[in-house]
Amino acid sequence: MPDQAELLPGTLDLLILKAISLGEVHGYGVLLRIEEISGGALMIQQGALYPALYRLEHQGLIESEWGKSENNRRAKYYRLTRAGRRRLGEEEANWNRLVNAIGAVLRARPQEL
Amino acid sequence: MRVPGSPALSGLLARLRSQWRGVFRRADVEAEMREEFEHHIALRTEDLIRRGLSPSEAARRARIEFGHIESHSEAARAARGLRLFDRLGVSWLDVKLGVRMLVKYPWLSLVSVAGMAVAIAIGAGGFGIIYALMDAPLPLDEGERVVSIQNSDVTNPGSPDRRAVHDFLLWREQLRSVHDLSAFTEDVRMLTIPSGGSHLVEVARMTASGFRVARVAPILGRPLLDADERAGAPPVLVIAYEEWQSRFGGDPAIIGRTVRLDNTVHTVVGVMPEGFRFPVDHRYWVPLRLDPAAYELGGGPEIWMFGRLADGVSLEQAQAELTTIGQRMAAAHPETHERLRPWIRPYTHAFVGVDSPARAWEYRAVQIGLSLLLIVVAVNVAALVYARTAARTGEIAVRTALGASRRRVVTRLFAEALVLSLAAAVIGLSIAEIGFEWIRVLATREVGELPFWMDLRLSPILIAYVLGLAVLAGVIVGVVPALQATGRSVQGSLQRLSSRRSGMQLGRTWTTLIVVQVAIAVAALPYALYSAGRFARSAAAVPDYPVDEFVHASFSIRGDAVPADPDTASYEAAIAARFAASAAELLRRIEAEPEVAGVAFASHYPGSERVGQIEVEGAGTRSPVWFNQVDVDLFTVFGIPVLAGRGFVQADAAPGANTVIVDRAFAEQVVGGGNVIGRRIRRIERGEDGTGEVEVGPWLEIVGVVPTFTPPPPFESVAPKLYQPLALADVQGPLHLGIRMRPGAAPASFVGRLRETAHAVDPALRFVDLQPALQEVRGRREGLIILAVLIAAVTASVLLLSAAGIYAMMSFIVATRRREIGIRAALGADPRRILTGVFGRAARQLGGGVLAGLLLAEAGLRAVGGSWLRGEGAHELPIVVAIMVAIGLLAALGPARRGLAVQPAEVLHED
Repeated sequence: MPDQAELLPGTLDLLILKAISLGEVHGYGVLLRIEEISGGALMIQQGALYPALYRLEHQGLIESEWGKSENNRRAKYYRLTRAGRRRLGEEEANWNRLVNAIGAVLRARPQEL
Repeated sequence: MRVPGSPALSGLLARLRSQWRGVFRRADVEAEMREEFEHHIALRTEDLIRRGLSPSEAARRARIEFGHIESHSEAARAARGLRLFDRLGVSWLDVKLGVRMLVKYPWLSLVSVAGMAVAIAIGAGGFGIIYALMDAPLPLDEGERVVSIQNSDVTNPGSPDRRAVHDFLLWREQLRSVHDLSAFTEDVRMLTIPSGGSHLVEVARMTASGFRVARVAPILGRPLLDADERAGAPPVLVIAYEEWQSRFGGDPAIIGRTVRLDNTVHTVVGVMPEGFRFPVDHRYWVPLRLDPAAYELGGGPEIWMFGRLADGVSLEQAQAELTTIGQRMAAAHPETHERLRPWIRPYTHAFVGVDSPARAWEYRAVQIGLSLLLIVVAVNVAALVYARTAARTGEIAVRTALGASRRRVVTRLFAEALVLSLAAAVIGLSIAEIGFEWIRVLATREVGELPFWMDLRLSPILIAYVLGLAVLAGVIVGVVPALQATGRSVQGSLQRLSSRRSGMQLGRTWTTLIVVQVAIAVAALPYALYSAGRFARSAAAVPDYPVDEFVHASFSIRGDAVPADPDTASYEAAIAARFAASAAELLRRIEAEPEVAGVAFASHYPGSERVGQIEVEGAGTRSPVWFNQVDVDLFTVFGIPVLAGRGFVQADAAPGANTVIVDRAFAEQVVGGGNVIGRRIRRIERGEDGTGEVEVGPWLEIVGVVPTFTPPPPFESVAPKLYQPLALADVQGPLHLGIRMRPGAAPASFVGRLRETAHAVDPALRFVDLQPALQEVRGRREGLIILAVLIAAVTASVLLLSAAGIYAMMSFIVATRRREIGIRAALGADPRRILTGVFGRAARQLGGGVLAGLLLAEAGLRAVGGSWLRGEGAHELPIVVAIMVAIGLLAALGPARRGLAVQPAEVLHED
């Protein structure tokens, strides 16, 4: 198992929105998707996922519908709303700005000051 | 072009939906959550089994990994915003019980719901109209960033200076915080389509940048381009989809076709998409050419300016930049710009008369004031509910003793009140929607087209606002009495319960409430009833001339019809001369029409005269009379006979003639009857600075008397009229024409032709009003009836509520004294004395209220220059007082009689 990175506070919503943006998915699928894409580096505490999902739904960023899952059981599928897509775009931009800024600071050398 | 739903709005709706489910379908929500958790754990278990764990170990691991289900459920509830509801403890059961209470007390429910529904309808109507006019988001891409700019004139607040060609060009060059600064002005032009006839159309002359601000692309051809604005560029025209369909038959080869606007040939270069009207309600666009060299500073056409805020710039930042530029301009050109303040604000405000910050506040005050009406009504309902709650003290005490917390009891009572107020909200919104529909129909008929952003219907914002109002009413009606009722010791309540007495001792508070209630009813309602009566009576009155044969036209001339700076004397003279010449030519052409029997002009249309003061020679008294300056032929054209003396002749209109004609009401009321011919009067006017200095006109001789042929305004029983002769050359400002059609001619079809005739005479002539007189009379009548019905509905609901409130409070007070009455009767007191005592007290409370109300009413009326002693509301006042007193005494009678009927032994036994 690769080294696991600690999830930064406030990034869970971004990860969930991104995972859902890749296609309709149920709760457990969100978890698997994040783990798979991050190569197992990002692990989310399983139960903690649901309050976050409900909060996003409550805010109108995602919506849900009941359907059948791969094991033929009733499962709730989530998808992004228009507002969710817009929010994801904003959060991604924010994140990239932050990463660039921190990267620039970390790359700085004494002669550049 | 419409952007469906803003993110904030869709977020709000999602929250409301989620909370609605959480409250009313709680069991379903909880079950679904459990099912989702179990599904998750099952999938995880299967995964772990696939990785080699035994089924039992996999199930155990999956549960451990998932964590504590209860704490996740709790966190999930919090995420859905249901914590608040959990804390409040409102449940479906409370709502059901609320509905049951509604049915159990039908009269209370009916009175409360009816009263609140009327108040909510009025609050929602006012909010909705003002919101649609000035606050609604523009249905354009990022519409909230489109702004209007204008020069406010500090010496004349509320009338912006629109002759700002030089400022516009300077701002367009310098202003960084607003992009695509645009300007437009509107014109009426004769559109002539080869083989398609001619029509008058309203054209927006707009800078090409206006289309960039709108961010709407044409469906055919191109929008206006900057190149079109250059001098010498070929004239082009962009048209709306609807005009393309109706006037050009949807011709697919429309682009490149030529039409004439007045005498200039224009090429159609673009068709805008369906529904696009811009900048206000315009459907034809031609380029606006602004040549600064052609105008002096402060001159030129009147223009409206707008643009888009640059990215990341706030309205305040843009204003700051504009102010700086304005200050530089004022320093450089103090003679024209010292009094001007450039002002940037939300787009819609420029077009709905919000021409100063004070005006914006006025709109807000109306919005808030109308909402306050509901609070007044809700307080009344609260008093009613309070009496019911008081009667349920025992039930509350038992429930408390059985373990219900105070919060739980208050919540239950709040839920009951919420059912009442939500029922009222639904009815109120329905009434408001009916009102909106009526306004839409009326506006389409009277104004033609509403501004493109105005969408008068039940919007989500309006519904949210009404729900907010309903919750507020629920709090006032439910929570306040509940806190009062539960604020006492349960022990005491239980004891009193066992002795069958109510636990709420209300004494002074209730006495005060009754006095205040009666006072408000007496102070406000008679005048309201009186007003409703006056409006209804005025609606029924009809003018005494053949209204159906007349067309009423009033017109003025555009302020920019002459190029000079309007602050100069030469401008005044030039514009007056042009108006007089154009009006004379228009009159000549109207008279030449074969369908027209006659035409007369006046400074005011008969029936809409201006009030002023006159003095009668020798009498020394001053009287208000209604003035009109009229064409010497007016009485002949209107078919009004001369009752005494003579009619006007041409010589009367000459300077220094100083003759007047009065109507019969004037002769009888002002001069005092008898032979008034030859008597002299003079006008008395306040000085222009408004300091009360009196300017006295020359003595004018009465040469004739005519009948009173138009009804007085709503609040006057008579309106004595004074007619002075008017020569066309002396006319200033709008001129009113009464055009009498020959029998058989249709006034309605003449109206359209008249517009074209006027345009042909002088394109700068502008109609302020043009319609068949009958239509105008009907419109006015409809307006008055609506006003009367509205006032009567509000008055009736407040009267009903006040009466019910007084009944409830009075009967409750006397009921609490039932035992005392019983004991006094048992000890041998004379029943008549006891009753006198009870009624005496009730009468004192009611009398105090009536007296306070009378003083309040008189003070209020005096403040606006009236007095009920002089008759305003004098007839209605005794009715309201009688209703209040009768209800109060009636309410005292029942409990008092029951008190007297109590057996002494029974009363003593109760302890």
